[in-house]
Amino acid sequence: MNELIYNLAVWLDDTEWSRMLHESYYMYNWVESTHVLTLMVSLGMLFLIDLRMLGLALPDVPASRIAERLNVPMLIGFAVMFITGILLFYAVPVRTSQSLWFRIKMVLLVACAVNAFLFHKRMNESVVTWDIEPRAPSRIRLGAMLSLTFWSIVVVCGRFIAYDWFDCDTSPNTLIDIVSGCVDGQTRF
Amino acid sequence: MTHEITSDNKNAKMKDDQAAALVVAQAFIVFSAIYWFTQIESVRELLQLAYG
Amino acid sequence: MNAVMLTSYPRTLTVVAVLLTLLMLAYGGAMDAVYPSLLGVFEWLETTWFGVIGKTWGAAFAFVEAVHLLGLALLGGCVLAGDGRLLGVVLTDVPVQTVVERTHRIFVFGLSICIATGIFMACGVATKIYYLPVYWFKMLALSAGMLFHFQIRRPLLGHDIQNLNPVVVKMVAVASMLVWFMVAATGRWIGFSG
Repeated sequence: MNELIYNLAVWLDDTEWSRMLHESYYMYNWVESTHVLTLMVSLGMLFLIDLRMLGLALPDVPASRIAERLNVPMLIGFAVMFITGILLFYAVPVRTSQSLWFRIKMVLLVACAVNAFLFHKRMNESVVTWDIEPRAPSRIRLGAMLSLTFWSIVVVCGRFIAYDWFDCDTSPNTLIDIVSGCVDGQTRF
Repeated sequence: MTHEITSDNKNAKMKDDQAAALVVAQAFIVFSAIYWFTQIESVRELLQLAYG
Repeated sequence: MNAVMLTSYPRTLTVVAVLLTLLMLAYGGAMDAVYPSLLGVFEWLETTWFGVIGKTWGAAFAFVEAVHLLGLALLGGCVLAGDGRLLGVVLTDVPVQTVVERTHRIFVFGLSICIATGIFMACGVATKIYYLPVYWFKMLALSAGMLFHFQIRRPLLGHDIQNLNPVVVKMVAVASMLVWFMVAATGRWIGFSG
């Protein structure tokens, strides 16, 4: 599996657009800046929704209204982050695909999506009974707490991708090599 | 009488807060426009130098 | 009439005086006089516990940086929700006063996280950022943003929104978003400089 991912990453790395993006004077910086600054839109809205479920934000506003009204800007923010994230990966595909932090981030993003789906499902089924309560029921609050935790770790992992502590050519042990997807110490920057 | 004075005071304070907000908001908007225009211009010149 | 205006508009006059003073300082060479004396302060910051920890353990610096981003997300979310409501773009069926008041506490919390983590990070790279013009722009924008939020926006929105000029309210919302965007953007650019 690691070899497959490595070969795909090398193929992407060999494309002209990947090289141009990676070596660009400003484009990579702008894409990264957009990715980071859009946090304020996507995670900002998400945090407000989660904090409402925990009763820590806008407690006198119906929870469903907060969730519905802030959903659209949140999803727009996530769309921008998704696109810029793909571009950032495309610019440096080999090193990124072999980054332990990137892999943890991807797993957590899937976990966040599953949690969001279950959260919305539970909320829609039960919201009529607790909409105007300052705090949501315990299961919804658990979903909100998980959301806050997962997303916080996503941000930390995203920040750590830039550091080379566990890069394939400096990796301290075999287990980290395997989890990171190192293939016989081969890597590219 | 006292109620009128308090109401007048509140009105005066509101006008003052509004005027101050208008002055500062305009200053920020004008400064931002100039700042980002100069930043974009300097980036354009640099890119022209770098890529021709 | 002039005497009446002077006593009726103390906040406005203060604001105009501050802006004119800042302009004079910026173009009058005051920064050139003060700037060299700040180098000693920045060199000292690197010798503090925060500076030593930030320079020695890259992981600690990186973690604090990530927390700084989380604070930014909170702060940005509150700015977008609050100012978006003032512009009539988000949460339009929730009373303005409710959105503004309720987002203020979380805004202050997010801002506190950003300032605390920002001080830690600044100590770790103090002499580097001293020489970066973009850092000084960020500090200017941050100071302007905080003063604007606490001394202009909040007092204004403490009045009944119905009695306020809607154009002024929208300009305040736009200015607020612009200034916090500048803080975030210049902050991100520090990482690309030096």
